[in-house]
This record gives sequence, C-alpha cells and structure tokens, in this order.
Amino acid sequence: MASSPLIAELHAFLAADRPTDEAFNQLALSLFAHQYQHNLPFQRFCQQRGRTLRTVTSWRDIPAVPISAFKALTLSCIPAADAERTFMTSGTTQKEVKGKHHHPTLAVYDDSMLRNFRQRFMQGSDRKIRMGILFPDEALLPNSSLAHYLALALRTFGAPGSHYLLNEAGLDHTRLHAELAHAQQSGEPYALLGASYSFVHMLDELQRLGKSFVLPPGSRVLDTGGFKGQSRELSMDAFYTQLAGALGLGREHCINMYGMTELSTQFYDAGNATLPSVKSGPHWIRTCVVEPLSGEELPRGEQGVLAHCDLANFNSVTTILTEDVGVAVEGGFLLLGRAQGSAAKGCSLAVEEFLQAAAA
Amino acid sequence: MSTLRETAGYLPGLQAAEVAWQTLAFEAQGRRLEVAVPCLTEAQAIALLARVRAASRAYLKSLTLAQIVSTLDKAIARLLDPADPWRQKADTLLPLVTGYDAEMVRLGLTGYLKTFRGPQLQRFLVEDFGNPLLLDGFAPRAKGGFSKAFGADVAVHVWAGNVPGLCLWSLISGLLVKSGTVGKVASAEPLMAGWMAQLLVEVDPQLADCLAVVWWKGGDTAQEKVFFGHADLVLAYGGNTALAQVRQQVPVSTRFLPYGHKLSFGLVANTALDVRKATRAAQQAAHDVMRYDQQGCYSPHVFYVARGGKISPDEFSRYLAHELSALEKKYPRRALSLADAADLAGWRQTQEWQGLSGDSGAMDVAGDGAWTVVYNNTLQPLAPGALNRTVRVVAVDQLADVIPLLEGHRAFLQTVGVAAAPRELFELAEQLGRAGVTRICALGQMTSPEAGWHHDGRFSLLDLVQMVDIESSAEAAADTLAPYVD
Repeated sequence: MASSPLIAELHAFLAADRPTDEAFNQLALSLFAHQYQHNLPFQRFCQQRGRTLRTVTSWRDIPAVPISAFKALTLSCIPAADAERTFMTSGTTQKEVKGKHHHPTLAVYDDSMLRNFRQRFMQGSDRKIRMGILFPDEALLPNSSLAHYLALALRTFGAPGSHYLLNEAGLDHTRLHAELAHAQQSGEPYALLGASYSFVHMLDELQRLGKSFVLPPGSRVLDTGGFKGQSRELSMDAFYTQLAGALGLGREHCINMYGMTELSTQFYDAGNATLPSVKSGPHWIRTCVVEPLSGEELPRGEQGVLAHCDLANFNSVTTILTEDVGVAVEGGFLLLGRAQGSAAKGCSLAVEEFLQAAAA
Repeated sequence: MSTLRETAGYLPGLQAAEVAWQTLAFEAQGRRLEVAVPCLTEAQAIALLARVRAASRAYLKSLTLAQIVSTLDKAIARLLDPADPWRQKADTLLPLVTGYDAEMVRLGLTGYLKTFRGPQLQRFLVEDFGNPLLLDGFAPRAKGGFSKAFGADVAVHVWAGNVPGLCLWSLISGLLVKSGTVGKVASAEPLMAGWMAQLLVEVDPQLADCLAVVWWKGGDTAQEKVFFGHADLVLAYGGNTALAQVRQQVPVSTRFLPYGHKLSFGLVANTALDVRKATRAAQQAAHDVMRYDQQGCYSPHVFYVARGGKISPDEFSRYLAHELSALEKKYPRRALSLADAADLAGWRQTQEWQGLSGDSGAMDVAGDGAWTVVYNNTLQPLAPGALNRTVRVVAVDQLADVIPLLEGHRAFLQTVGVAAAPRELFELAEQLGRAGVTRICALGQMTSPEAGWHHDGRFSLLDLVQMVDIESSAEAAADTLAPYVD
C-alpha cells in the first residue's frame, strides 16, 4: 500500500498520550497532501474553493467535504474495487443513492474504534462485559459501519454469553427478556448496545407486557442513530427516562454514540442524565461549528453545522461537513438535530414537494 | 436589540381581552418583532362566523359594485400614499416579518397595489363577467333570460406564503363578489390582511362585520372543522400536502378552491441574444429571480437559452450572474435561517458534485452564498432550484426542445417569461398552453401579473360566484300573469 508509512504514523498518533496541537496539525497536513495528490475529485473540489497544497497551512484550512459528496463522487486514494471494505450509508428508499466510504484496510478504523470505545464505554478498563446487541450482525449487513462497530465491540470486549438479539425476523424479544432476567439474577453487569430505534421497539414491548428489570450495578446502555423517521418518534428526554426506568439504571449510564459512515471515529457523551449531553471525541478528531453556506467557523456559542476533521479518515477525506446542527461548548459540542429546511414559505414549488410528486 | 410589538387579525364583536393570544417572533436586520395572533375558542369562532354571515347578507349584498369598487379604490389609495400610517406600518414591519430587503418590499408592494386601483378593478370585473352588472342585479343575457352572480355569504380563505400582501388579492376578490370574508393568515406573514381589513372599515365603517381575519396553527384540524363547517366556500393556498390536509376538513357539499405551489421558468430566444439585447434580457431575468427571493409561484427557477445568437447561452449565464451580483448590493437577499442555509448549501453542493463528476455534461456553478447561477451545456429536466436566488441556465438548440420536458409537470406549471420575436412567441405560446402553462409574460414582469390575469388559468372572480338564471320561459310565463295582461 502506497501509504503504509503514513498508516504507521497514524497508528502511532492514535496511541500517543496527549499529543501536541502541532503534531495534530502536521499529521492533518500530511494526510491532506496525500489525499490531494491521490484523489482527483477531491483535488478539483479543493481547487474550486481556491485551496491547494500551498494555501492550506493548518488543519482548519482543509476544505470540509459535504457528506453528500460521498454519494456523488468516489472519495478514495485507491481504486474503490481494491478496498478491504466499503461502508455505505443507509438509504431509506431503494432508489436512493448511497454514500460510500472505502477502507483500504480496516486496521485504522478498528484501532480508532477500539481505543476510543475502551476509554469511553468500557470506562478505560479491559474487563469484559456480557453484551446484548440490538442490531443485525455483519453477515446480515456487510456494508454497515455500525454493524462492524458493534461486531468489533462484541468480539473485543464481550464476555462469554454475549449475544446478538436481532435477526432477520427483527428483535428477539423472548431472548432479550431472558438475557435481562439472567443479568438481574446473576448480579453480573450487563451492556445493551444498538440502534436507538431498536431500543424504542424494546421499550414498546416491555410496556405492552408491563415488564421491567433492575440491572446490576456496572450495567450500561449504548444507543446510536436517533429515531427520526423510525418506529415512533420520541423526545430524547422521554426516551432516556423510559430506558432508565425499564432497565433499572441511572440515565447517566445510558451513553449515546454519535458516528457516521463518512467518519472512522466516533463521539460519545458521558451519559444522558441531563440533555442535551456534551459529545466529545478522542485526540485524533476535531470539530468546528461552521456557517453552512460560507463554511466559515462560527464564534463559540453560536449554532451552526458541524464539520469534523478525523485523522483516522486517511483514505477518503479528513474533513467532512455534516448536516448536523450543533454548538461548541466547554469539553465538546452539543448535537441539536438535523439541519432541515423549512421548505419554501412562499408559493414557489420546493424541491421536496416536486420530488414527492415525481415519485407518486 | 429593540423589540416592536404588533397585533394580528381583525375580530369584529370580540374584545382583545376576551381572546387568547399567542406570540410569533420575527427577527431581521437586528430588530425583533413580536406579533400577537388570536387563538379563538370554538364558541368564539362560531359567533364570529355567524356575525360575518349576517353582515354579509344584510349590508354587503345591498351595496352596488360601484360602491364596493369606490371603497376599495380609496383604501388602495391610502396604501399607495407613502405618508399614510398604514403604509408606513407596512413599509416598516413587512421587511421584519419576511426578512426581505426593505426597498424590495416597498417597490414590490407599490407595484402590486397599483393593480387594485379602481380602473384596474373594473378591468378585473369585465375580464371575468363581461357585464359586471351581473353582480348587482339580474342582467339580460344574449341567449335570452336574465342572470345574476351571487357571492357566497361566507367564504373562508386560508392564506399561505411570505410574499408580502399575497392575501390581498383573495381578500379583494371576495369583496368584489360581495362575499363575507373570514381569512386565516399564515404564520409566515400574519399582518397585512388584518391591516387591510381595518383600513377598509376606516373607509366604510359599515363594513365592520363583513370581514374577519383570524389565525390558527396550520394543521389544527379542530379549528379547521369549525371554520370550514360554517363556510359556503373555502379557498386555500399552500403546498399539496397542506392542501390535501385542508381538503379533508372541508364538508363534501362545500366548494373548495385549492391554489397549489407552482413552478415557473423563462425562455430566451437567440433573437434576444445580441450584445445590447442580451444585457437587457439578463437584467430582466435577474430582476425576476431577485424579487421576493424566488418565493412566488411566478418566480423563475430555470432559464432555457437558445444557441445560435451572437451571445452564447454560456455568456448569457455570466451576464445573469453579473446582474444578480449587482442586485445583491442593491437589494440584499434576506438572511437565511440555519436550516434554509443548509438546504441551499446542500443544493449548491449537489450541483458542484455533478460538475466534478462530469455526469451532466459541461457545467459551471457561479456565485457566492447570496446567489447562485448554475450553467448546463446539455439539456436538463425542468426541476425547482433551492429558491433564495438560485437559478439554472440551460443551453438548448431551440426553445421548442423545452416542450417535451414539461411532460408530467402540468399540475405545477404557471408562468413562463419569454424573450422571443412575435412569431416565435405565438408558436411557443400554443405549445406551452397545451403543456399546462397558464401565463406567458415578458422577462422582468414575471413577478408582476397584470390586472385581470387568470390566476393559474382560472377566473379569479367568476370561480367565486354562483350564477342564478331566470330562463326566458319564466319571463314569458310571468308575462301571462301580469295585471296588465290583455
């Protein structure tokens, strides 16, 4: 692989203990140079914005690539066919074009995920915990980065008896309830991890049966993805209250992970006792809050769209522009939802309505 | 930040203290405006509707058309007077509510109001009725017999949109056909209709109970059931989803007139593309894009430009970009919400990716955040842009190539701005009309329909009335019963 010295440098940076800003900057610039040189669509994108190897002198100068570009362009320094794995965004319709993130090797993704997960979900410990996964496995969803993430969590940190609790037929409620009952009796800490909307299904079923559990101390939950447009919509506050109530945990033990197919690193909060919770990532990812049209960084405290510079994204682009609204705070950022236009307020036809009509 | 306060609506028979109010907040140009909108109880709504119905029957129906036109003309004259307090209120507050540039609003409002002066209203009436005396009494028909046009006792109007004053057209049409009017203002522009109602009552105090301006949150089916259940006619403006939802609440036997969102575009023939004419055409096209930041049904989303002129379509797109950039300095685009900005950014980016991937032929994306011109060298389907001054220029071999692109979009088509020689204009008009286009005008006039236009191809006044015929047989039979019969 053309970039193996770069990958070695990257692993070393991930392993480093509190590296300096300058070290972050240097590595970001090396990765930028690598991507600029080996990915033509990205190079043209940079040139269109007047950014070249000469004008980019800090990681903040690297143009943030909107996530929609992962759908339209091949953002990869190697031919897409040579990738060890390609993660794809989950489209809601069959016709929808999916964003693709090509990984020449999963070693970097895995290194990033495991270091961070150990720190943030395993509380810095190597002691394994019995897990239940409320998400399909990798065989079922080979292009899902979340399926890989959860498989990695289970493989590395799952104690014997850890299980997938979701299959082709959906959530296996019987087995899930048995697992929770077992945890309650054994006194052994238990972790449930999965998509937020799977937890909603779980809560609905528990409510229908009038069941609840009290999980032993040390137990925790990891949800991710939110539930807009899925099952029933729930306020975040109601969700964590119900979740904590049904499992007999404090809301501070309900951790939310914020990740995206277009990144190789995740963000976590330290529980959801109060909302919105502060999200933060490890030292190899940095976040800016920007004005969506100009891309200019906004002063602290102002709402904008999140842009992330993820050094573990060594093959695609380090810096992406999300569609998530957030605000920078002490120790990280608050995630405030998706930036969705209010459509037209006048009587001019908006794209959304036009597409709906075209699809009908 | 200074905060201004204003009360929306017009509620005859109800004291402010009896009504629950909700506050809608607007911020623009560093100022904040809080608008109190009324939230009526079911009993209040029913009483209000009954009051309007009674006054509509007792007073409005007794007026002659000449009296109504005169009242409207006086009210419009007041609004056209820059020193009038109502006009000053509009000039101050509408830019705050809509976010549009104040000068753009002022000019737009004046041009719009001019179409409602007395002579223009006469034109509207003649356009629809031929003989407007049909509205005052039974008038003889060419076929024999007599007819009279009756307006509904109560028409409920559901207004949408933040194009300032859009509601006036519907309000005035209702009055012209002597229809009691209860209008629901949109949260995006809740003020103009209430002001107009108060102004009309100032001009003719006896109109006091003939009009009401209310508010409810869009989609509040309980409120909609009450209002529509007591209406003889329901008019609604909005997107198809909103209209479908409104329609569900309208009783089957009540007439419902929906006005949906529309898609408009421009056509520039190569005859309009020499250096001097192309500059002019680009100025006019830019004006149509700039006006109300493309929020109108008549606002252009795409310009199809013919090859073969001295100025190429590519050059025309640069001219247009230049004009939009100049207009941005004169009439800056309104500040966008974060969500709207993200939408616009997303649309622009999609265009840029297409340019980078080369899938859509040669193309170019020009402009900063305040305006965008996308140029396509290959034929592109008709589709809306992101609004807020985003426009596409598409090169075509001949303008007739555009006609097949209209297939399937009939329900959405409205205005086409055309720059072409007379023969081509009429040839195109025939084809555009067949495809569903209802209005063809000059570039630069797309956002200013002329007095008497057929909104969405319909009769703005005629659609609001019920014709009552006295057939000639009745007249002949009556003759046999006359006291003077021989």
